[in-house]
Amino acid sequence: MSATALAPESEERTQALRKLLNRRYTFIDRKWDIVFWVTAAFVVAAAADITKLLFAGDWDFWTDWKDRQWWPMVTPFAVIIIPSALQYIQWLAWRMPTGAVYTAISMTIASWIGRIFNWDMFGGFPLAFVWPVMILAAAIWLDWVLLKTKSFVLTSLVGAFGFALILWFTNYTVLAPYLQPIDWMGLHVTVADVQGIEYVRGQTPEYLRMIEHGSLRTFLGETQYVSLAFGATLAVAGYWVGQAIGRGLAIWPIGRFIKRF
Amino acid sequence: MRSKLKYIGAVMAAAIAVVLALPPAPASAHGETAQEAFLRMGTVAFWDVKYSAEEVAQGEELTITGTAKILETYPEQLAEPKLGFIGVIAPGPTVVIKERTINGAPAPMAIEIEKGGVYQFKMVLQGRRVGHWHIHPIFGIHGAGSLIGPGQYVDVTESAGGFTNDVKLLSGKTADLENIGMGGVTFWNVIWLVIGFAWLLYWIVPKPTVTRLPVTSQIPLNTDGGAYGLITKKDHRVMNVMMGATIALVVGGMLWQAQAYPDKMPQQVLHFAPEDAVVDAKFVTADASEAAFDPATDTVTAKVTVQNTGSSPASVESFTTSTLTFPVAEKGSAERSVQISPATPIAPGETRELTMSMTDAVWAKERLMPVGESRMQLTGVLRLQDEAGHENFVTIQSFVTPSAMA
Repeated sequence: MSATALAPESEERTQALRKLLNRRYTFIDRKWDIVFWVTAAFVVAAAADITKLLFAGDWDFWTDWKDRQWWPMVTPFAVIIIPSALQYIQWLAWRMPTGAVYTAISMTIASWIGRIFNWDMFGGFPLAFVWPVMILAAAIWLDWVLLKTKSFVLTSLVGAFGFALILWFTNYTVLAPYLQPIDWMGLHVTVADVQGIEYVRGQTPEYLRMIEHGSLRTFLGETQYVSLAFGATLAVAGYWVGQAIGRGLAIWPIGRFIKRF
Repeated sequence: MRSKLKYIGAVMAAAIAVVLALPPAPASAHGETAQEAFLRMGTVAFWDVKYSAEEVAQGEELTITGTAKILETYPEQLAEPKLGFIGVIAPGPTVVIKERTINGAPAPMAIEIEKGGVYQFKMVLQGRRVGHWHIHPIFGIHGAGSLIGPGQYVDVTESAGGFTNDVKLLSGKTADLENIGMGGVTFWNVIWLVIGFAWLLYWIVPKPTVTRLPVTSQIPLNTDGGAYGLITKKDHRVMNVMMGATIALVVGGMLWQAQAYPDKMPQQVLHFAPEDAVVDAKFVTADASEAAFDPATDTVTAKVTVQNTGSSPASVESFTTSTLTFPVAEKGSAERSVQISPATPIAPGETRELTMSMTDAVWAKERLMPVGESRMQLTGVLRLQDEAGHENFVTIQSFVTPSAMA
């Protein structure tokens, strides 16, 4: 008897699905799980890192771009898209709240490989100037909210909003030493500014730096909180961009493909 | 047929392997000749660019001085020059910039600029990466890109202790910009990776993955499948604990940074308009009326009308265009000079038509004569000096007629 033919709430159906969950398949064993988790990591890492660099490249590259106005606005949007897509895929297919964390781990490792080999060893920039954003704590929050709410709508509203805030707090912790004041030729600037001034970036003149250039005193001059709120709102939008990718570009075409056969 | 394909494949694989095994030729320039001639000649002129050394050890200083002028002929199709940045272009941070002054004032960042502005710059660099590096000053102009000044090779040699970039913080502590903050960056990345892996492995090691699909495909999306054992109460409890630990670490991190780094400020933006460069009073005017280029002999000739409005005889000293300076014949080197005819000084009040002639393969080599392009112009700066040693730098421009078309 097919499980789908049973009434949704019946005990018999519950037992049938429990049995199905624990069924051992002859040709589908744990090796397939390993194949999936390992091979997908490369694709996911590339997708997440490229998306991040596409939308928030320079903010992610340089400490002197990691400001309190633009960085918290641009980065959450850029780094929530692929975690959201993976969250949908892994929740739908396996009911695992792991999509964001899986993406974050893959992206973190890929980003560091890029920074160490491309930027430090090949380009010669010190890692202290080019370290990438850390998104793992925010990703844990995102997966936890999905686990608790079981709702993508609520995850987008509560999870994505909190994602942006946690992203800022965790990264501000490591940014702190770079915001210490320093004297450069009699002018007060931050350590991050001096890194930007001293380490030669031939094709990135300083005027291209998109950071806070002075704020109006609306909202008591608290640029940071206004930016965080706006960045969190953008993260909600970014979450749905990721959902569109997960639903439209991944699940739907695969479903069509499977139906053909 | 198959063996033939195998043979071709083997040859191609061997060829690729050889190419990959060969050491790559080092890049020796920065693509300056790729920029259009009118752009290089008509935007910024550099003169008197001097490097204090050709070889420095790591941490040793090298000074670049010179003058750059935003020419009055700045092309109209580019945005009006308003914001600029004088810096250095090199193959990455092979040197660090320790000081920069423009017209005598410290200029850490971009400056406000204008057409006709003259900017005397001084940059103190330190050797950082060991190697043989091609270094140029650049004038980045918002809307136009980086316009390159005269370059020079600089050898950076190894020093005993390697390179450190120590700076003194306002708190009085000393920090090395090469690795400042890396303890925190490493610590927190490791912490989050450990927690992230713990989260992920909790789900994917004890639980099967692919075989959950037959169950998940039969239940609504907005359920955790607890009734069927997909997500258990224990899973919820463990995840709650990990989430709690995450929040505790985030809060702990914020408290730690507030304690460890109490003095912080946002990144600064220090843009300003430099004072005018100190230049001599105007004593001469110059206008180019026609110019020609003979590709057969690599000769550029131009007719320039010069009027001496001063009180002392004046002479042409040099002609500068793009990164090249052509001194007058008697002062120039064997390979680069400009012939001025007549060469005698121009008397006070006199207006004279001069003929400039420059024969040099560099016109073709540097792709500076825009023959065949849509804007065939010669632009540059004429340097004139009176008998008291005062100097005027006058921008001249004329359309160029290639001799083949004359």
